[in-house]
Amino acid sequence: MITGTALWYASRATGVISLILLSSVAILGIVVSRQGRLPGLPRFAVTGLHRSLSLLTVAFLGIHIVTAIADGYVHIPWLSTVVPFTSDYERFWIGLGTVAVDMVAAVIITSLLRARLRPSVWRAVHWLSYASYPVTLVHSLGASKDLRSGWLLALTLATVFAVVTAIGYRIIDAAAAIPRARRVPQQLARTEKTGSPR
Amino acid sequence: MTTSVQEAAIRHAQPGATSLPRLLPTSGQPMSLAAHLQTHGPTPYRGGPGMLIHTIESAGLTGRGGAAFPTHRKLTAVASQKGVAVVVANGAEGEPASDKDKALLWSSPHLVLDGLQLAAEAVGAAKVHLYVHREPTLLGLLRSALADRKAVGLDRITVGLVGAPPRFLAGEESALASRVEGGSALPRFTPPRVFERGVHGAPTLVQNVETLAQIALISRYGPAWFRAIGTEAEPGSMLTTVRLANGGGAVTETAIGTPIAELLKLAEHPAQAVLVGGYHGAWLSADRARILTLSNADLRPLGAAVGAGVLAALPANRCGIVESSRVVDYLARESAGQCGPCLNGLPRIATTFSKLAYRDSTPSTRDELQRWSQLVEQRGACHHPDGTVRFLRSALTVFSGEVALHEAGRCSATTSEPYLPIPAGSPAYDEDWR
Repeated sequence: MITGTALWYASRATGVISLILLSSVAILGIVVSRQGRLPGLPRFAVTGLHRSLSLLTVAFLGIHIVTAIADGYVHIPWLSTVVPFTSDYERFWIGLGTVAVDMVAAVIITSLLRARLRPSVWRAVHWLSYASYPVTLVHSLGASKDLRSGWLLALTLATVFAVVTAIGYRIIDAAAAIPRARRVPQQLARTEKTGSPR
Repeated sequence: MTTSVQEAAIRHAQPGATSLPRLLPTSGQPMSLAAHLQTHGPTPYRGGPGMLIHTIESAGLTGRGGAAFPTHRKLTAVASQKGVAVVVANGAEGEPASDKDKALLWSSPHLVLDGLQLAAEAVGAAKVHLYVHREPTLLGLLRSALADRKAVGLDRITVGLVGAPPRFLAGEESALASRVEGGSALPRFTPPRVFERGVHGAPTLVQNVETLAQIALISRYGPAWFRAIGTEAEPGSMLTTVRLANGGGAVTETAIGTPIAELLKLAEHPAQAVLVGGYHGAWLSADRARILTLSNADLRPLGAAVGAGVLAALPANRCGIVESSRVVDYLARESAGQCGPCLNGLPRIATTFSKLAYRDSTPSTRDELQRWSQLVEQRGACHHPDGTVRFLRSALTVFSGEVALHEAGRCSATTSEPYLPIPAGSPAYDEDWR
C-alpha cells in the first residue's frame, strides 16, 4: 500500500522533473522556430525531439498532479486540475500551477489538431508557451520550499539561465534574419561567388 | 413546350462535332457578349447543385491547367465538403512559355465566365473569383465583359476579379488561395488541400480557365459531342502554345492525340529537341518527338506530360544546355524561398548547371547535379523542386552529347541568342509576390 508520504514525495519529485522537461521543451521549441540545428542532429530530429519530450512532460505532469491530489496530507480538490485558485491549500501557488497546466493543455491540444487548424491559430496558441514558463517557475518556487535552497535551487537557476539564453538567441537570430523574399537572390549570389551556399 | 423549343434551337445551333476551333472564335476576333449569345445561347444553368457533374464525368473532361486531373472528381470532392464552397477560375498561367490562358481570356471571355457560373452552381458555391495576371488591358476587357453580363442578368453570382503577381508559382492552387484572401501568392503546406479548406477556410474549387470554358461547351452540346475528337482515354480538344523551330508560333486549339510532328511542322522546320509541358516539363529528342502524339498516354511512359499544352521545338543552331541552364536559373529565382531544399538546393543546382553550360565544369559536375537533384526532390511544400529536377534531368539525358562537348570545352551552337522566353525581373521583395 502506498503511504501518504510516498505520494507526497512522488508529487514533489515529478514536479521537479516536469520543470526540467518543460525547460528542455521550451529550448528545443526555440531552436525549431529558428530552424536551428543541434550538434549531430538533422533538423527534423530536433522537431521530433521537441515533440517527444513534450509528450513525456505531459506524462510527468500527469503524475505530479494526480499524486498531489490523491495524497491525503493536504486537501486539493479535483476541480483544481482545471479551474485555477480553487484549492484551499496554497490557493495562490497551486492556482498558478493550474493556470500553467491550462496553457500547456491548450498548446498540446492545438498541436495534436494542427492539421485541422489554420496555421495562424496554432501559432497564436503556441505563443502561450512563453507565458506558461514563468508561471510554472513561480508556481514551483512558491508551492515548494524544496527549490529554494541547495542543489535544487542551483538546478532551477540553471534551467532559467538556459531558457533565457535560448530566448536571447531567438531574438538576436530573428533580428538578423533576411526577409523571405530576399533569401533566394542572396543564396544565388552566394553560390555564384563560392560555388556553395553558406 | 418552351423547353423543347429551346432544346431544338440548341441542337440546331450545335457546331460540327469534329470542327476546330471549339473554344477560340473562328473569326479570330474577340467574342463580344452579343456574338457569344448568338453562337452559343445563354448560360445553360441546370437548376441545382450536382446536376452537371454526371455530364462532365461522361464527357471525361480533365483539368487543362497541367495536372490533367479528372474534372468531375474535383467537382465531387468540393461539392461533398461541409461548408459553402468558393470557386476560383485560374487564369494566372505562370509558365512563361504558355500563352493559351491569356489568349482564351482575350478571345472567348464569356465561355470562361459561363463555365465559372456553371461550376459554381454544380458545387453550390456562394462566391466566385477570376484570378488573372495584373495587366491593365486584360483586366479592363474582363471588367467590361462582366459589366455586359450584369446588364443582361446572365451571372447568378457576382464575379470578383483578383490580380495575380507575375510569378511562376502564382497559379499553384494554395498560392492562389492565399492571394485571393488578400495575402501573398505563396504556396502553403498541404494538407489540407484547397478543396477541403482553401480561400478563408472554405472548400475551394480551383479550375483552369480553359477547363471552365470546356465545361461551358459540354453543358451545352453534351458529352458525345465533346468526345467526337481526341482519344478514348483523353477526349476533347485542348489549347496549346506552339513554338516552331523557325521562331514562329501561336496558340492553337488541337484534338488531344494529334501527332507532335504535325503541330510543330517538324518536316518543314526540323528541330534537335522538343520541350513538352513547359518549364516543369521535359525535353524529348527530335527522333522520339517525331513518332509521338500530344497525349499523356504517349508522353507519361517517357516521364513527360501534356501539362498545360506547351510545345517548343529547339532549332539546331541553339545549345540545349545553355537554354536549359537559363530556364533552371529562372526557376531557382522563382523559388518562394520558404522550404530549405528549394531555397538552398535550387540556387546550388542552377549555379552548378550554369558551369556546365558556360564550359567551366569539372569532371564531377554531372554527378554533383544528380546528387543535389535527389536531395531536393519531393521535399517542398509545392512541386517546384520536383518540376525543376524533372526538367533538368531530361535536359541532361536528351542533350547528353552536348554535355560531353561542353565538358571538353566546346559547344555545337552557332548562335547564343536566347530562344526560350524568360521573363525579365526576379522577385526581391514581399510586394513582388502580391
